[in-house]
Amino acid sequence: MSRNTARQITQAWGILVLLTVLSLAASHSGLGSLAVNGLILAAVFAKGRWMLMDFLKLRSVPSGWQVLFLCWLGLITLIAWGATAFPVLHG
Amino acid sequence: MMWVLILTEVVTFGLLFVTFAVTRAVHPDLFAAGQAQLDPALGGINTLVLITSGWLAALAVESRAGGRRTTARLQLGGAMALGAVFITIKLAEYIAKGQAGIGIETDTFFTLYFLLTGFHLLHVVLGIAILAAVAFSDSVENLKTGTAFWHMVDLVWVVMYPLIYLVG
Repeated sequence: MSRNTARQITQAWGILVLLTVLSLAASHSGLGSLAVNGLILAAVFAKGRWMLMDFLKLRSVPSGWQVLFLCWLGLITLIAWGATAFPVLHG
Repeated sequence: MMWVLILTEVVTFGLLFVTFAVTRAVHPDLFAAGQAQLDPALGGINTLVLITSGWLAALAVESRAGGRRTTARLQLGGAMALGAVFITIKLAEYIAKGQAGIGIETDTFFTLYFLLTGFHLLHVVLGIAILAAVAFSDSVENLKTGTAFWHMVDLVWVVMYPLIYLVG
């Protein structure tokens, strides 16, 4: 096993665990919902990117695939945030 | 080919996520009431379970590439066991909902909740079967392909969990 790669995978795992716990804590924080939703969905994008790059090894495939998967991730998180913001912004 | 299949899967789930998000925008009160009946801690535990399972699966590929077949198989076994833990927790959640009189026809929120999580649960079952197959036929390429499917299943849950349980 490449020690560097294994360390990279384990670091990614640690970050994923941390972001998951922080997201759960943020959802219980009682802060403004739009800001909290934004933080939670930003964490979703970050976690997804780490999973794609370090678990799925997307960084070692042609960049077109990286663009496709990251666009998918970005689009989903943006639409999800927009859907929660829509009722608030329209009263 | 592997990337085409994975992209097809995530796009399919993506359409379901968009459906869920748009329906939430149309029925915010209904979705807030439905979400209040879910247990975010259980979903959070399941997220940690799948993330850790994905970590073991990723390490298994590195172990096999380094010629450590037994270690790779043990790591795959750990990944599959955690997959089974995910299924157990999810089924316990479904049973609790059933006992509370909540089902797929309760309202739009729960129709989408059971549709999305149920479709994902089927992928978890299939993913465990694929991991078991590549643990036996354990070339590096097979492990890469099998674990890629598993990571896709993890990724979908990592996106789905906050959408259903946390944001609102």
